[in-house]
Amino acid sequence: MARAKVNILGIACNWSPWSCYNAAGRAGLEMPPNFRIMRVMCIGRINQALILRAFEHGADGVILLECEDADCRYGPGPEVGHSNVARVRRLLHYLGIGQKRLKEKTFQADQPRELVDALWDFAARIERMGPNPGKPGQERKAS
Amino acid sequence: MKLDSPEIKRIIKERSLYMCLECGKCSASCPRLLTGKEYSPRLLAHKLIAEPDDLAYIQNSVWECLTCGLCEERCPSGVQFSQAILDLRAVLAETMGLTGFRAHDGAVHSWMRIMTSPRLEQNRLDWLTPEIKVASEGPVAFFTGCVPYFDVFFSNLGVDTLSLSYDAIRLLNFLDIEPVVLGNERCCGHDLLWTGDRDNFAALCRLNYQEFKDHGVREVITNCPECYQALGTYMPQVIEGFDIKVTLLIDLLEREITKGGVSFQPLEQRVTYQDPCRLGRMAGRYEEPRNLLRRIPGLDLVEMTNNRHSALCCGNSAFINCDAFSKRIQMERLGQARATAAETLVTACPKCLIHTSCALRDPVAEPQAPLRVRGLVSILAEQIEWAQDETPRRKREAGGAG
Repeated sequence: MARAKVNILGIACNWSPWSCYNAAGRAGLEMPPNFRIMRVMCIGRINQALILRAFEHGADGVILLECEDADCRYGPGPEVGHSNVARVRRLLHYLGIGQKRLKEKTFQADQPRELVDALWDFAARIERMGPNPGKPGQERKAS
Repeated sequence: MKLDSPEIKRIIKERSLYMCLECGKCSASCPRLLTGKEYSPRLLAHKLIAEPDDLAYIQNSVWECLTCGLCEERCPSGVQFSQAILDLRAVLAETMGLTGFRAHDGAVHSWMRIMTSPRLEQNRLDWLTPEIKVASEGPVAFFTGCVPYFDVFFSNLGVDTLSLSYDAIRLLNFLDIEPVVLGNERCCGHDLLWTGDRDNFAALCRLNYQEFKDHGVREVITNCPECYQALGTYMPQVIEGFDIKVTLLIDLLEREITKGGVSFQPLEQRVTYQDPCRLGRMAGRYEEPRNLLRRIPGLDLVEMTNNRHSALCCGNSAFINCDAFSKRIQMERLGQARATAAETLVTACPKCLIHTSCALRDPVAEPQAPLRVRGLVSILAEQIEWAQDETPRRKREAGGAG
């Protein structure tokens, strides 16, 4: 069966998840195809709008890679992430895009293998779900 | 770059900007300017005509306007200022992109653009309960609008805009109307239109029109003044041979209640009414909502200093421009509401409800007299006398996503 072409966006916190991602790269672990990562200082910096924007511009799945609650360098980052994810998932459900296209996963600083496995798992899920039905017919201008 | 393209010149002419006498009544009444923002409708008109090379000023001002229409109300020359802004935004967005500030980082516009995808199959009817009766096909539809989305997005404000649609359907059921509620209805596109995104607005119009036709809908009832404007005024400009009747719920209520046989339970409360810009100045419905409120025995309707034609904006529109100046407008408005000693501020627009609820959470305003914000339809649905001895109560659980 031909694999559906899907785009996956990872939004990674600069601290634990990014160090996992770095270590995974150094160890030469293979990443899923069509996976793009965006680094932010803290997942608490992401709001509902930025997640929705990814879907508006044609992402088929978005995964937030977060630190564990207790590890946050700033304080409430992951909790902000949980609240945003819960709300955007409701919106995705209403929109018919499906709440399973948005996932959050927490990592400690030394879990590169877990991070790569989580990405492959997520990619497989999105491939099963197929393209995002809200995908624009043509590429949207940056807005 | 100079803003003197034939397109801009056409807008200046069509919207009567050449008629401007530079009397300054517009700027003197503009809530944005009065709260201290460097923004002047008069100067914008002047710059467009006489200094089209001041791109920075013009571009900035075009996105700054609240489009509340108060300047137009005061203008002795009949300059169609809001319409000029609407047209200019379309031109500027097309050529230079949206440079204005988008409140909530444009999330609202994002979901509206997502809805332009024809393949989308929404699950937007989760909130319907067996207590309210709706049909899947028929000649009359109720247009819910974005309220299911608002309640999730603004859940931190504790607003309940969905209750407006719920209560609107309760009222329709009371009048023996079982409206069609469309499972795949799209946003009306008001906010995209007013932020210059004509293409996506047109896409939403076409999808909605198709949805109406597929379900045999000939009349659409809406409770939201913005949906009423978008569907009733702007959709016919996009759809050729538009043949759907668009009705405001309050018009229908007024018509049906006047026939008699309906009464209201008394409500001993002092209330004041906020005129939404799209309902008041744009649709001319000043007395209709007030007449409905006055039908409730015991209800004491008092007016704020700025009412009817000179009502103050709720702070912003189309989800752009929310800033400290919007906050000052809102504080001014809440101050006026409190000065009437009203317990409840009633409004007929979900956006006014969201914005005033947000302003009420301001910690500086908090210690003052408590004020409640409620939707007009919610009060009416609560007080209207039902034929049976039971009032349908909503049982909307918090979760429910599948």
